[in-house]
Amino acid sequence: MTNQQMGKSRKPFVVGASAPFSALKRILRTSVNLRGGWALIRGTWASWLQYRSFFFILAFGWMIPPLIYLLVWATAAGGRAIGGMTRGEFVAYYLALILVNQITYSQTNWTVGDLIRYGQMNRLLMRPLHPLFDALSSELAGKVVYLAFDLPVVIVLALILRPEMHLTPGNVLAFLPALLLAWALRFFWGYWLALLAFWATRADALLAVQDSLVFLLAGQVAPVALLPGLLHSAAVALPFRYMVGFPVEILTGQVDPVGLALGFAVQLGWLALALGLSALMWRQGVRRYSAVGG
Amino acid sequence: MRYLKLISLFARASVQEETAYRANFAIGLLYSLLNLGTGVLGIFVLFGQVESVQGWSFASTLALLGVYLSVGAVRSLFIGPSLEALAGMDGDVWSGRLDFVLLRPVDTQFLASFRKWRIFSLFDLALGLGTLGVAVSRLGQTLSAARIAGFVIALAAAVAILYAILLAFTALVFWSPGVLFTWVFDGVFQMARYPLGLYPGWLRLLLTWVIPVGIITTVPAGMLSGASSPGALAGMVGLAVVLVGAASLLFRFGTRRYASASS
Amino acid sequence: MTEAQISVQSLSKTYRVPVRAGGLKAALKSLARRTYNDVHAVQEINFTIQQGEMVGLIGPNGAGKTTTLKMLCGLLHPSAGQAHVAGFVPWERRPAYLRQISMVLGNKSQMLWDIPPLDSFRVIGEIYSVPPARLRQTLDELFDLLEMAELLTKPVRDLSLGERMKCELVAGLLHQPAIMFLDEPTLGLDVSMQLRLRRFLAEYNRRSGVTVLLTSHYMADVLALCPRVILIHHGKLLYDGELGSLAQKMAPFKLVRVTLEDGRPLTEDRGGIPAGAEVIEANGNHLTLRVARTAAPEITAKLLQSLPVVDLTVEDPPIEAVIDQVYQEGVQG
Repeated sequence: MTNQQMGKSRKPFVVGASAPFSALKRILRTSVNLRGGWALIRGTWASWLQYRSFFFILAFGWMIPPLIYLLVWATAAGGRAIGGMTRGEFVAYYLALILVNQITYSQTNWTVGDLIRYGQMNRLLMRPLHPLFDALSSELAGKVVYLAFDLPVVIVLALILRPEMHLTPGNVLAFLPALLLAWALRFFWGYWLALLAFWATRADALLAVQDSLVFLLAGQVAPVALLPGLLHSAAVALPFRYMVGFPVEILTGQVDPVGLALGFAVQLGWLALALGLSALMWRQGVRRYSAVGG
Repeated sequence: MRYLKLISLFARASVQEETAYRANFAIGLLYSLLNLGTGVLGIFVLFGQVESVQGWSFASTLALLGVYLSVGAVRSLFIGPSLEALAGMDGDVWSGRLDFVLLRPVDTQFLASFRKWRIFSLFDLALGLGTLGVAVSRLGQTLSAARIAGFVIALAAAVAILYAILLAFTALVFWSPGVLFTWVFDGVFQMARYPLGLYPGWLRLLLTWVIPVGIITTVPAGMLSGASSPGALAGMVGLAVVLVGAASLLFRFGTRRYASASS
Repeated sequence: MTEAQISVQSLSKTYRVPVRAGGLKAALKSLARRTYNDVHAVQEINFTIQQGEMVGLIGPNGAGKTTTLKMLCGLLHPSAGQAHVAGFVPWERRPAYLRQISMVLGNKSQMLWDIPPLDSFRVIGEIYSVPPARLRQTLDELFDLLEMAELLTKPVRDLSLGERMKCELVAGLLHQPAIMFLDEPTLGLDVSMQLRLRRFLAEYNRRSGVTVLLTSHYMADVLALCPRVILIHHGKLLYDGELGSLAQKMAPFKLVRVTLEDGRPLTEDRGGIPAGAEVIEANGNHLTLRVARTAAPEITAKLLQSLPVVDLTVEDPPIEAVIDQVYQEGVQG
């Protein structure tokens, strides 16, 4: 690849447009290379399947915390109801949460930070494909592999623990977009945090902080409805509930129509902010990266 | 004596390594507080809804959390970092840097267990012990000297058991490098955040006899609240001795295998 | 003659490697009954090395060099045979033995990444129980020889590859070992850094009398440092002796360089070249011929008669060419 070609393919990300949104649009318009993107996804997927056991072990690790709270709350509820939820409903809530948590969790964001830290971004920047696609393709490949582990385990757990769930078509219908938005929100929220690695080495600690906040406020420690006073208000206002808990609550029928509309509004608002910040971080980051020379 | 001096040198070098990344320090602080916060709030939320679960009250569960945090802090102080430098991705076994460890005129297991320190975990340890203190005051019992001694012994045994399990998991790397045994263990260890009694029977058996992480927190916390018998303490100490011995043996077999199999 | 410092008798190492065919069925089958292949990495090797010698261990990739080196420093148990190094059996890995040896690897680091080298040296010094005063003195000497005083305040990760290699050498020598195993010490270094490291090793060997066993793919390292080489190929010892005689023994041919009279270059049909001589280069009136070692006198005589020769030299092929030939074809003659 000659220098000129290199410059050309990098240009859309280096010289961004004035506003972050139009930068993102430009990225999508000028550098979306769909065939390349698809090939990347396929390649990533194939190589992930090869290390199946490794990724199953990762999935196992991620499944444990919600599983602990499932068992704790189910035991605590015993024969009664806590905060209006029976033992079986706790089981249903947490089994759904295990799946949703896995679907929305983006381990890719850790990788992005590492790429920047260890100077491997150069290789990605030299390809005629936006590095976001690397992240997205390993996201997608990851989901499939992780779910191949999670689904059978959840089914077995459901047979043992006897969940109670009253699915309605409306709930399922609202659940799907909420899940997609939850994933997007969690991904881009992590993405802009990860991109801070352009400025600070080991910014990955921030990702750990985010994991912690998700743990507390997204409905893992307890369903958001059971959180006391201030904690409850924080959970409703901050973005974390909309990364995991919100779709789960919809599916298990804990959200009334007003709450649903409000929830979607908050979710979309945070997503817009995350997208904007991601684009901004990327544009400024690459500029800095190319100025410093990696 | 020489080994103590080595430990202090390792610790000093590790401090230097850590302070090379200053930004991380502040965030690490925040993370430790969050870790404590999520733990305490988790219990708080639970006992906001119920008085007690399976005989465990807020105070005794908080004491158990204190044990969990303290033991976890000791782990991340040196056991974890040292052993992870050996196993893990890009660990010494994987990359072949284990050669240097084996060529040192110092006991290999000692080097493997003590050479990396994360001094920052002393802060975690303080938080854990602080939690214990608060929990004890909320228990509202006067503790006899014998019970305090029993608790300290149980805590030491807890650290020894944790060390043995981690060493054994690490030794497995010699048979299958690259598999993240410690990651699996981390997941299981999290279960020790809550009393064994809160889990269904089959899991309780698993966490007592197969991977005894349940004992690590439940017995010491029980020493404080009075739920653990002297027999449980004796059993725990015995288990610690057996496990440390067995894990050391496994580790030795592992290094020998490395010596006869690697190229 | 004093007792040899390193002596190796019939040393062999055989790896058992499980045979794995592709596919799920084969994988399941291998669970039940595994079949193994024996890989003979090192077979019946014998040699002795005296104190203070610098010996090059050469051979192509996979020849068994690293396996041999690892057995000698105690990292590997041999399958058969014996070795004694400085009076010890290496693979018992006694602390007293480990204090006598040192291994420096060109592709692996024993330095702590995020702190200045001096701090790593202190830790390593303590591991080897070097008294502080002696450590200070040894370090000063080494820093002086390697001209590296200015590197000591930077963390290792900020050092260049060459600077890091200097640090590796210091780390490997600060306990003043009697024997040094060097595996590819100049890997990836630029020419001038290679030169400087070689000069250092030669000088250090002269001063301290350390025994050096070196493997390298850069023949220049071996040429510059090792009067004696041990050549291993397919796990077997092919040659042990002076580097200078290696060509004589290994290469069954010589090179004859001929200059012809001006204006009378070689004709198209190459008339006048005796049978048994192969033209490997023809450039105007300069010719290079390859001839069998034994036939060299006879063929040069014929050449002088049949061609208008103004100059003629007979020489051994360059060492790289010989080694290349051995690596590719094994031994001949």
